[in-house]
Amino acid sequence: MDLKEKLVSSFLAFEDGLDLDNPVHEVRSAAIKNFEEKGFPSKKEEAWKYTSLNSIQKVDFSIFPKKETALEYKDIKKYFLHEIDTYKIVFVDGVYSSYLSETTHDGVDVCLMSSAFSKPMFRQVIEVYFNKAASKDESLTSLNTAFSKEGAYIYIPKNKMPKKPIQILHLATGNEAALMLQPRNLVVAEDNAEVQIIERHQSLTDNEVFTNSVTEIFAGKDAIVDYYKVQNDASTASLVDNTYISQKDSSVVRVHTFSLGGKLIRNNLNFYQNGERIDSTLKGVTILGDKQHVDHHTLVHHAQPNCESHQDYKGIFGDSSTGVFNGKIIVDKIAQKTDAFQQNNNILLSDKATINSKPQLEIFADDVKCSHGCTIGQLDEDALFYLRSRGIPQKEAKALLMYAFANNVLESVRIPELKARINKLIADKLGVRVGFDL
Amino acid sequence: MAYTEEELKKELETKEYEYGFYTDIESDTLPKGLNEDIVIAISKKKNEPEWMTEWRLEAFRAWQEMEEPEWANVTYKKPNFQDISYYSAPNKKPKYNSLDEVDPELLDTFKKLGISIDEQKKLAGVAVDIVMDSVSVATTFKKTLAEKGIIFCSISEAIQEHPELVKKHLGTVVPKKDNFYAALNSAVFSDGSFCYIPKGVRCPMELSTYFRINQAGTGQFERTLVVADEGSYVSYLEGCTAPSRDENQLHAAVVELIAMDDAEIKYSTVQNWFPGDKEGKGGVFNFVTKRGLCEKNAKISWTQVETGSAVTWKYPSCVLKGDNSIGEFYSIAVTNNFQQADTGTKMIHLGKNTKSTIISKGISAGQSQNSYRGLVQVSSRADNARNFSQCDSLLMGNRCGAHTFPYIEVKNKSAQIEHEATTSKIGEDQIFYCNQRGIDTEKAIALIVNGFSKEVLNKLPMEFAVEAQKLLEISLEGSVG
Amino acid sequence: MLEIKNLHANIDDKEILKGIDLKVNAGEVHAIMGPNGSGKSTLASVIAGKEEFEVEEGSIILEGEDLEELSPEERAHKGIFLSFQYPVEIPGVSVTNFVKTAINESRKARGLEDMPANEMLKMIREKSELLEMDRKFLSRSLNEGFSGGEKKRNEIFQMAMMEPKLAILDETDSGLDIDALRIVANGVNKLRNKDNAIVVITHYQRLLEYIVPDYVHVLYNGKIVKSGTKELALELEEKGYDWLKQEATV
Repeated sequence: MDLKEKLVSSFLAFEDGLDLDNPVHEVRSAAIKNFEEKGFPSKKEEAWKYTSLNSIQKVDFSIFPKKETALEYKDIKKYFLHEIDTYKIVFVDGVYSSYLSETTHDGVDVCLMSSAFSKPMFRQVIEVYFNKAASKDESLTSLNTAFSKEGAYIYIPKNKMPKKPIQILHLATGNEAALMLQPRNLVVAEDNAEVQIIERHQSLTDNEVFTNSVTEIFAGKDAIVDYYKVQNDASTASLVDNTYISQKDSSVVRVHTFSLGGKLIRNNLNFYQNGERIDSTLKGVTILGDKQHVDHHTLVHHAQPNCESHQDYKGIFGDSSTGVFNGKIIVDKIAQKTDAFQQNNNILLSDKATINSKPQLEIFADDVKCSHGCTIGQLDEDALFYLRSRGIPQKEAKALLMYAFANNVLESVRIPELKARINKLIADKLGVRVGFDL
Repeated sequence: MAYTEEELKKELETKEYEYGFYTDIESDTLPKGLNEDIVIAISKKKNEPEWMTEWRLEAFRAWQEMEEPEWANVTYKKPNFQDISYYSAPNKKPKYNSLDEVDPELLDTFKKLGISIDEQKKLAGVAVDIVMDSVSVATTFKKTLAEKGIIFCSISEAIQEHPELVKKHLGTVVPKKDNFYAALNSAVFSDGSFCYIPKGVRCPMELSTYFRINQAGTGQFERTLVVADEGSYVSYLEGCTAPSRDENQLHAAVVELIAMDDAEIKYSTVQNWFPGDKEGKGGVFNFVTKRGLCEKNAKISWTQVETGSAVTWKYPSCVLKGDNSIGEFYSIAVTNNFQQADTGTKMIHLGKNTKSTIISKGISAGQSQNSYRGLVQVSSRADNARNFSQCDSLLMGNRCGAHTFPYIEVKNKSAQIEHEATTSKIGEDQIFYCNQRGIDTEKAIALIVNGFSKEVLNKLPMEFAVEAQKLLEISLEGSVG
Repeated sequence: MLEIKNLHANIDDKEILKGIDLKVNAGEVHAIMGPNGSGKSTLASVIAGKEEFEVEEGSIILEGEDLEELSPEERAHKGIFLSFQYPVEIPGVSVTNFVKTAINESRKARGLEDMPANEMLKMIREKSELLEMDRKFLSRSLNEGFSGGEKKRNEIFQMAMMEPKLAILDETDSGLDIDALRIVANGVNKLRNKDNAIVVITHYQRLLEYIVPDYVHVLYNGKIVKSGTKELALELEEKGYDWLKQEATV
């Protein structure tokens, strides 16, 4: 039985344990139907031209983890941003771990999707927001919607801000030979609310993990949302991360994606600007080696006038790794005075590495400023020579230049401890100790 | 660039497609439809050797298995390939010794096209081959060229007179099964131009072909093959027009360029097929495959000004096979009213130290859609490949669209690729500034558009550049109000 | 030559000019001074026919002809030249090509043939020398990447080429260093003659040391509140505009 069949036939069993009177039941049923029709995307589809999911489909994944596994905080502390106090929503093999988590209902809700689905007090928010930004058409999003049950639920009411940043951590213990996870997150920041979220997926063993995640983010008027994705997973873990963001007037949403580890990662990051004077920022640093494969697929849909978007993705590719950047900007007819900017810069370190870049513009309004730039090149030889002439060894000099290359993406990280952590991850990834402040 | 103001003024007043006249010449047309018999009939009519007939049949059989591509950013009613006549030749098949023998009506057509052969001869020193509907009707300057060993004739003639050259090169750059339209063309092409420049020869004049669709219900499938032998140089011009008709006419050409070691080919196109009327009715479907192969130290440069056609699907490409070879693509694509263009280039870097440059200027007006689609591919063995791409779009009004779809695929770490794209509009302040200096709005737009397109216009041979400039102005007529 | 009568002009329903009267004769140089936001640049734009502004009342008459119905280019053909405070960039269009187009369009409107190329070339050479312009400059794209001084010099170069009857210099001194100011002023002075007139709009007295006006007007809150001779400019330099503001509000 291939993975698609397995998933489709498991759906009934999955729903068996859930409340069928819940309106979400119908959403799930429609979604599984769409997935059944479309199946896993293939390379024949333009959107998946450079990324194949064939190898994943051959693995016999467990869809429902069998048992809960207890983990000690000290063993997994390093995967948290432990230097600062945060709320934590932690899942172990897809199951919520109350022991490792720290949730709240103090003015804001930082808790679980499973509670939000079942408890009447959350029903209104679910009705207004759940599956409203996510695609009903894209097959993997539908697959996640069909199996949506657990994940992080974050609701920030009007004018509120949680006391501290929120961390979402998905751990896989390796209790299953191969595990498939489908977390579903919902983030709602009402008018003038503000929230900072850090998300990480971490497999603790070499057993195969495939995560098909969907996150919906809603930013009300004047809301500010910072979302940091730390992708530094084990070399046997693959991730398809679908994020859908819907913004209202004057809101600011910034998504930073740091892709350093993992086997195969596909990020589908979609921004829909449903108001004026919106600011959307998409930034990414990707540093790959071995046979890693990371595919960034971004969409910014400018549907209203006077909005801005800023995209900046930097990639460094070594060994036999493959990087893909596919960025699309759409400017609707009425979205006059749009200012959309997209930049994708890449460095190839090896002749076995590949970069495929496809920056696209689709413009239907005339009074707009839209530009994109893409470069593929090497480290600046003159700069390298300059550093070496000052006594810095070649390897360190290269690392320094690569660090500098990626650095401006880090500038907009607003949690200093996170910035320091990412800096360290980058240094580790580059395999050097650089003699400057991280 | 010299302006002839009066001329411009006059043309600005004539809003309709100025080449939309029909030449009443008796034609010998095959019945509509396509099957093996028709393919054989075409080959027979042209008195082709058996290998050619067989080649066509192979292409036809492959075509039958293929599907019309749908990935381009264009929508149109697919042509009914059984409702097209695949061969139409002016009845009195001409073999002229001098212009006096040419059908006066045909000459008149050329005059209306603004390419009176006399004038061309005198003024520009351009050797012209004119393909009307399907058959090459006149090649001037043959003698002068022959002295240098240059062959410039219709492809039919080349198949008869130089079969070894044609057999050796035809289909080597664009294989007959390359794509749907190329396969169709390979099966039914009726004529086109052939050009061979011998080793070390610098072609002393611009070679030029004019294509024209005349007969109703016919498709035009011309085939062009240009071979520049080692160390040679040629500059080749191609112009296209069609009469205005209500129904859509199909044009599916194949152009193959071969630049051997140290050779250089410069291929310029001014495409002004009938774009359809203001309501989007009629117009030519222009589905063209153009590709050049560069051997060592060779250079191929494509320059195109695309103002016509209802639907354009065209990607002049360079396969940079030889070390140190160079590919260039300079393009201006203008769409107005309901036109749709999906055009760009492919630069395939295979050899070492290969370089490519892409400059694309898209101008969209009316309710048109203008897409740039390009591929820059660097293979793992193509050390030190360089590419610079710049795609600029200018939007006029709020009902059109500009799209940019660049594909960049790099497998070599020493590659240096730079791609930039911008979108802009003509500013009201720019117009007012021009107005204040006494330049009216229409003229101001023409001036600004010319400025926007300058990097590409500069790449055209002089006499083409003037024509291209005029075309730009005509095709943007009434687009800003 | 120019007569402005009771001119009222609005932008977006906001009244900027509130009744301007001004008479400029051939051979005269007038300076219009005033604090920021007094309507100086608006007056220049309205005379040149910028369509954003609505003329609610009054008239602008050039050599006996009411300009109201005329488009900006028609006004230019009649001999009005505006040196822009912020000249616009037109990428890909060289200075030479632009000037040639402008001159020939104006000639065409007057029923004249295009200026012969050699004559044009001679004139370009002459006038570019007058403004001490580098010849390379002429082949560059219009105003693209020009410094502030180069842009202003280019404006006066165009004025020299087009030989207008009435030239309005809108803040031509802003952004100029002292050398560039001297060159520009020198150019303007050489273009002065008994048949043309110049209106200099400026915030500071500095430019008027080089281009000496016959009359000085002070614009404040959309009206000319004081007129006088060149001494008025010196007085303004000394006292600032505040005393006039007080006077005007009384």
